[in-house]
Amino acid sequence: MTGLSMFLLVFVAIAVTLFLYIAGVYNRLVFLKNQVKNAWSQIEVQLKRRHDLIPNLIETAKGYMQHERQTLESVTAARAGAISVKSIADVSSAEGELSKALTKFMAVAEQYPDLKANQNFLALQEELSSTENRISFARQAYNDSCLMLNNKIEMFPSNIVASRFGFKKQAFFELENPMEKDLPKVSF
Amino acid sequence: MFWQIIAENKRKSVILIALMGISLAVLGYSAGIFAVGYLNPAADGFISHRSGLSGIIIAVIIWLILLITALFASDSIFLSASNAKQLTHNMNPQLFNVVEEMVIAAAMPKMPEIYIIEDMAPNAFALGKGPDDGKICVTAGLLAVCGRDELQGVVAHELSHIINRDVLYMTIAATMLGAVSLISDTFLRSFRYLPSRRYSCGKSSRGKGQALIMLAAFTVMILGPLLSRILYFSISRKREYLADATSARLTRYPEGLASALEKIMLSGYKNSEAPKAAAPFYIANPYRMDIKNSVFATHPPITDRIQILRSMTFGASYTDYLKAYWKITGTHRNLIPVKSINIGEKIAIRKSSEMPPDSPDQYVSRKKAGDIIRHINGFKFIECPCKMNIKVPPETSAESLICPRCSRVHKL
Repeated sequence: MTGLSMFLLVFVAIAVTLFLYIAGVYNRLVFLKNQVKNAWSQIEVQLKRRHDLIPNLIETAKGYMQHERQTLESVTAARAGAISVKSIADVSSAEGELSKALTKFMAVAEQYPDLKANQNFLALQEELSSTENRISFARQAYNDSCLMLNNKIEMFPSNIVASRFGFKKQAFFELENPMEKDLPKVSF
Repeated sequence: MFWQIIAENKRKSVILIALMGISLAVLGYSAGIFAVGYLNPAADGFISHRSGLSGIIIAVIIWLILLITALFASDSIFLSASNAKQLTHNMNPQLFNVVEEMVIAAAMPKMPEIYIIEDMAPNAFALGKGPDDGKICVTAGLLAVCGRDELQGVVAHELSHIINRDVLYMTIAATMLGAVSLISDTFLRSFRYLPSRRYSCGKSSRGKGQALIMLAAFTVMILGPLLSRILYFSISRKREYLADATSARLTRYPEGLASALEKIMLSGYKNSEAPKAAAPFYIANPYRMDIKNSVFATHPPITDRIQILRSMTFGASYTDYLKAYWKITGTHRNLIPVKSINIGEKIAIRKSSEMPPDSPDQYVSRKKAGDIIRHINGFKFIECPCKMNIKVPPETSAESLICPRCSRVHKL
């Protein structure tokens, strides 16, 4: 074997390895991007589920909570606000508002024993608290997959492939969750 | 996230299962030698590799038959044997919702089937070969004693058995153990009934070497099942810890599972109907609570499991579980695959999502469990204005009924 063909062979081997590596990184990035997309659609499904539950809840509560018109109206207004937004950043704040309004509503509802005994209301309450859990778990899954995609985009050497093919970092979804904020107080 | 654990888990279990496979092969080999050597005392030359190899082949065939039956029929046999009823959303919205929440948290591709078992003892188990084919079974007793957070902890524990493909590995291991026990039992028993050599001449054609081989084969027959059992239970215990850790991470609320385990421990019930071979699949051993560390326990000591979960005060990540595990057991064994531990990963523990759980009163919870079972079986519940709760069986043909307390007439 002459020196030239040896050189050619090494060159081809390096080129093939490089190509396989780039293809691997590219596929991984696409996989992660799709995963982020999936996780986001799961959040949207759960948010919509929450929006759909609220009118029923208000309807059931109306009869019992005639003196709490303001609380009921604030929930309805927050729902309308949450439905109308589009961008991810706005969703966070609008849904946060809705969560706050709902928490307040539930706290007020606690004072109405008749309402709390209503089977329909109890069923709706279970669905609502389940939906809150689903939103927060879906959010966690979304943020996990965002973190993985963003790491891949930022880290060397996959960042070269990512910038060459125009992969963009995804924004995390932070929701003001009243349950998480209200951590148990420790007293000594 | 979870696929890293699955990959790492696979490797470890494959090693343990390979060890069990080796013990099965050794057993088959000695069984072959034993059989040929004993039945043909004259055939000195036949104690060869050939008789051993055919022993191995027979052992493997026995195992394969057990495995195939287990993989294709065990789920349905198990479910019908324990009289399990498949659940829809309307029957018990809370359980259904809790499972759905955990499916979202674990990013599972498919919702598992949910079954309820008419059993007063609180317990739960998972079936199915993997994330695409999962089944979760809970007893009515569990639903009666557990609040929402506790139920969530139990469901997350069972789901992680499905995600980690524990049921599949445990089935492979269990059938190997079954084959080993079957072969050694058969031989040790038949040894008793074989014609005694008392009347034959002491100076038979048996050489000294042959006697030694027979002795070795005999030892393998006795030690093989013991060793396989120890291996099997060690796989089982490790997977319980891992499922507890995954449950804490998924729910972000270790106290839920801890308090559910406590209630299971204190319930005082035993699942009398649970098939014994299925003990490792339950969240806690249905026959006896494993209180002490033992090589023959299917589950780690339940008190240890509770304590570990309760000492996770700083977070709900795998690292936190591992630290708590080290603290409680005093060992530094690496329980969770290193790769899956995201160092620095912080998962805050969330607040309890509910009012304080119901009182663990035995009478109240038994009544509640009974109502859950009746609900599933299609009973109608009529609440009379006199606060009497009338339960009407589905077979009733009458059109109306009179309240036994206040004599009001209710239309059905």
